[in-house]
Amino acid sequence: MKGKHFLILALAFLMLVPGFIFAQPAAEASKASTMRLAWWGNPTRDERTYKAVEMFQATYPEITIETETTGWGGYWDKMNTQAAAGSLPDLMQHDYAYMLQWVQRNQLADLTPYVQKGIIDLSKINESFLSGGRVDGKLYGISLGTNAVCLTYDPAVLAKAGIAEPDSTTWTWADFERIALEIYRKTGVQTIPFFTTDPKVGFDNMIRQTGKATYGKTGLGFTDPSVLREFYAIQLRLLDAGALIRPEIAFVSVSPEEGAFAKGQSWVEFIWSNQYVSTQAAAKRPLKLALLPNIKGATAKGTFLKPSMFFSIPASAENPEAAAKFLNYFLNDLSVNDFLMGERGVPIPDDVREHMATKVDTINKQIFEYISLASKNAGPIDAPDPAGSGEFLKMVRDVTQEILLKRVSLDEGVSRLMTRGNQILK
Amino acid sequence: MKQLSARKRAWMDDFSGYAFISPWLIGFFAFSIIPILFSLYYSFTKYDILGDPVFNGLENFRTMATDELFWQSLKVTFFYAFVSVPLRLIFAFFVAMLFNRGTRAIRVYQAIYYVPSLVGGSIAVAVMWRRLFMADGALNAALAKIGIVTDVSWIGDPNTAIWTLIILAIWQFGSSMLIFLAGLRQIPKELYEAASIDGAGALRKFSHITVPQITPVIFFNLVMQLINGFTVFTQAFVVSGGSGDPLNSTLVYALYLYQRAFKYYDMGYSSAMAWVLVLIIGLMTGIVFKTSSSWVFYEAKEGK
Repeated sequence: MKGKHFLILALAFLMLVPGFIFAQPAAEASKASTMRLAWWGNPTRDERTYKAVEMFQATYPEITIETETTGWGGYWDKMNTQAAAGSLPDLMQHDYAYMLQWVQRNQLADLTPYVQKGIIDLSKINESFLSGGRVDGKLYGISLGTNAVCLTYDPAVLAKAGIAEPDSTTWTWADFERIALEIYRKTGVQTIPFFTTDPKVGFDNMIRQTGKATYGKTGLGFTDPSVLREFYAIQLRLLDAGALIRPEIAFVSVSPEEGAFAKGQSWVEFIWSNQYVSTQAAAKRPLKLALLPNIKGATAKGTFLKPSMFFSIPASAENPEAAAKFLNYFLNDLSVNDFLMGERGVPIPDDVREHMATKVDTINKQIFEYISLASKNAGPIDAPDPAGSGEFLKMVRDVTQEILLKRVSLDEGVSRLMTRGNQILK
Repeated sequence: MKQLSARKRAWMDDFSGYAFISPWLIGFFAFSIIPILFSLYYSFTKYDILGDPVFNGLENFRTMATDELFWQSLKVTFFYAFVSVPLRLIFAFFVAMLFNRGTRAIRVYQAIYYVPSLVGGSIAVAVMWRRLFMADGALNAALAKIGIVTDVSWIGDPNTAIWTLIILAIWQFGSSMLIFLAGLRQIPKELYEAASIDGAGALRKFSHITVPQITPVIFFNLVMQLINGFTVFTQAFVVSGGSGDPLNSTLVYALYLYQRAFKYYDMGYSSAMAWVLVLIIGLMTGIVFKTSSSWVFYEAKEGK
């Protein structure tokens, strides 16, 4: 009887044991120089990053890297949870949109000491590429590539309509509107509404041209809604002429292949330069890149170079030195960049960029050329997005749909955007 | 063994029992009870995950009163639940009636008709639904074949988008159907035989035997599906790409709660929303239970 009881108890405990046993080895291994690396990505990026990790470990055999990767959506759920639990990795990919919020919550470490110690070499990097990662003079992230907003168009449609290709450094929104109408008249090809996933990117460019910013210290950074009004007025005029793809169709979230541009229903699409590779792959025809048009009487540059993503070291990192070493290797080493191939954006060290320009394929070459064009026509980047920007962007997208679906009048929509914007960002 | 007192032995019995179910108990406490209590606490705080939760009393609940999207999501959810649940149940009941005739091939059909319930929340369905209901999708192509030419984007028009989700809900009738079928098989054959002898037609048998006999199953399905309807998330998430598009017309309650939590990192507010949803579901279920005595037929009550 007694034996039977013990047997039962022993069996019951055995069910719990495996978890404890198998948890042991991992805990012991971390005593050695192990660092954790996390990024969001896609299969191509993952494959290239694994290769970089492998090459780094071959060069620095004393450091072991554990990797974590997910898609964009799941990534921030995961990182925020890890931040709450105090278990962030040693090196994490970061984004401009969340940078300020993380710095304000003291989650990220200043990288300046590692630069001073010579672990991270920034000597080949122009300050304009670094400023996006600075908050109050401290460096919280190093850009892994440069990105700029752009417009991609189908030169064959323009040729068919007999329209000369625009000089995108000087063209205006009036030119754009004229071209869009003429293309529609001659070929029946329409224009897609501007920046359907994130309309703020579109009018932000126009507001910047007036010397103002969308976000202020508190509330909106601009008080005169006339440029904002024009952003919607152009689209409404095109809509009334039948030249704009209907919002019921354009605002459905679809894969690039299902989009109106890929199907050839629009002559133009508004994207970030690092989306060009996938846009081009979906469209399957030659495309060109151009700067966004100028507004009438522009006093500043609307375009800016945006760090596509950062590497940041969390303040809670257990092995920040190893993380800094890997960061430096990833950033500056030419042979590793041969594998990364500018997938995260155009590299920021001068020598790496020049080295890459000779190696990339034609599509990436277009991006490199565009970034170089944009860098000559760019103004300084605005401060990182404030808290509440997520809610603001959703509101903007809602109001944009209301205006284009004609549920509200243009003036009512614009004034709603201004008042709600100031409320949300207060 | 003889030395052990009866008390000690009882304790040993209890202990080994608990030890055996401990994997479940640990899971239940670690992943259900403790998180539930935390979310109750968070619902009275302002909490953005990165910082520490700050107690702010009833502020979250006060914010809801003026939050347009909160009311919009309630409106969408009530509409969705009140339309899709009855339609799904009627459809499931109808299909179960067809299957109740019982040929051998029925088993195969049962399996096939259950598949939508399994795949309903997958990305493949999201893609398929877009292809069906886009302006140049399959539905419009089919309508054109029968002479109705339209270029309505069913999935992109704020007036029609919610209906694509309702159709998806009806399409996932499998589990309700299986339960109905089991219920139908339980109805004693003698009742039908007796009714036939008394000269009752098919319609009369349906309304006087089938429906009354099946009311306990209807009741069970109604409660389960009502809860499902109010907590719907996956279908709305995948079909609208997580946005509740177009114009928040598919922004169901759980989707808005998710956006608040994981897009705006407003954990306090979304916890408060979760508890409000618990109250709403509790209330709706309570109402169904209260009314059940007047329409659910239990054999045990017969003969009173």
